[in-house]
Amino acid sequence: MNGLVAHAPAPGATPTGATPSGAAPAGGALGGLRLGVGIGWRAEIDLTVERLEDVDFVEVVAENIRPGRLPESIRILRERRVPVVPHGVSLGIGGAEAPDAGRLAHLAACAEALRAPLASEHLAFVRGGGVEAGHLLPVPRTREALDVITDNVRRAMDALPVPLALENVAAIFGWPDDELTEGEFLGELVERTGVLLLIDVANLYTNQVNLGLDAVETLDTLPLERLAYVHVAGGHEHGGIWHDTHTAAAPQEVLDLLTALCARVTPPGVLLEWDDDYPSDAALATELGRIRTAIADA
Amino acid sequence: MPSERAPSTPSADDLRNGRGDEGTPGDAGAGDARGRLAGVQAALVAALVAGAEAPGGFDADRLRIQAASLVAKRRSVVARLRPDAAAAAGSELAADFARYAAERTTPPPGYRADADDFAAWLRARGKMPEPPDRRWFAPLLRWLKTS
Repeated sequence: MNGLVAHAPAPGATPTGATPSGAAPAGGALGGLRLGVGIGWRAEIDLTVERLEDVDFVEVVAENIRPGRLPESIRILRERRVPVVPHGVSLGIGGAEAPDAGRLAHLAACAEALRAPLASEHLAFVRGGGVEAGHLLPVPRTREALDVITDNVRRAMDALPVPLALENVAAIFGWPDDELTEGEFLGELVERTGVLLLIDVANLYTNQVNLGLDAVETLDTLPLERLAYVHVAGGHEHGGIWHDTHTAAAPQEVLDLLTALCARVTPPGVLLEWDDDYPSDAALATELGRIRTAIADA
Repeated sequence: MPSERAPSTPSADDLRNGRGDEGTPGDAGAGDARGRLAGVQAALVAALVAGAEAPGGFDADRLRIQAASLVAKRRSVVARLRPDAAAAAGSELAADFARYAAERTTPPPGYRADADDFAAWLRARGKMPEPPDRRWFAPLLRWLKTS
């Protein structure tokens, strides 16, 4: 373990890097804040997350909490000064419509209630024609879509009291008329808006398997100096397609990508995602240990 | 898969016209760009959750795999929210849920509504018992029915 130590902002203090525009000050994407190694908090494993040693920070799905009535387990973690990052899944910032003011207000209220150093969402669209897809779908990587999404991201950043980090998503299908690579698209978006990056190395791996996109090449083109934190997760291969289910240990290839990323930049945080089919506390501790080893191997 | 489109899905002509404009960036207003993006995204979501045809240029096989993965995800969430419905369907849960999902032109707006609708779908087919009537006068109604 090397330098990934949590320095949570004291409750009541202004979180480091929180500016109205959402842009983080110079000196690291989070203004020097180190999140450390963490895990996605889920109600089903709330006691596990509290019990696990060496959980430096957690992420909570914003849609699953009410800012005025935080789960007791989250309150306990906050009292221990464990940073809690609200992670939105339903904004659809890559959608054709401007992000919904109500959803943005909820994410903002979560960030305030949690005294979070930042909030995160996905570069994805989640609905179309008034119908919910129930999933994070990839956006077209065209210049025209980039213009629309740039405007969406600016609106979201303006509505949030903390910096926003956007996550690359896992895809099963691609768009036919892509003009930019994933790295180029995210790079342009970062340059235009100042948004931070949440890089999911399992999603890079998924897109390498499913769409033939070279994950290391993507790492080389991404503006990693704007990296806020990293996601790690496991999944399942079925019929030549990788399904990013978050229900299994991360394959070694994903951890190797984490090592490759850490060889390029020291990420402020790295977080394990596990949803459903929860294993034992010991198995989750082992996963966190594998992540720490992958970071140290860089 | 049913071939009818969801009502909100644009026609193939709309999509072709929209996509045909892509060669002239700069002069297109933001509204036009949003409109074109909206058209294709609506068509994609319709193909993924409402059984519509794949929009032009997309890999139809991959969209089918994505659609099946979405149904599987819905099924697992629904089974968690309504364990009574999952238990009633038993070993036929996957097949029943796939049939239920295919019969809807659009899925419900949320998982909770999806779970309740699936339970109602099972009940309508006699695969799940009616919930017990817990009103105070229910015994009286039952007595009136049988006497």
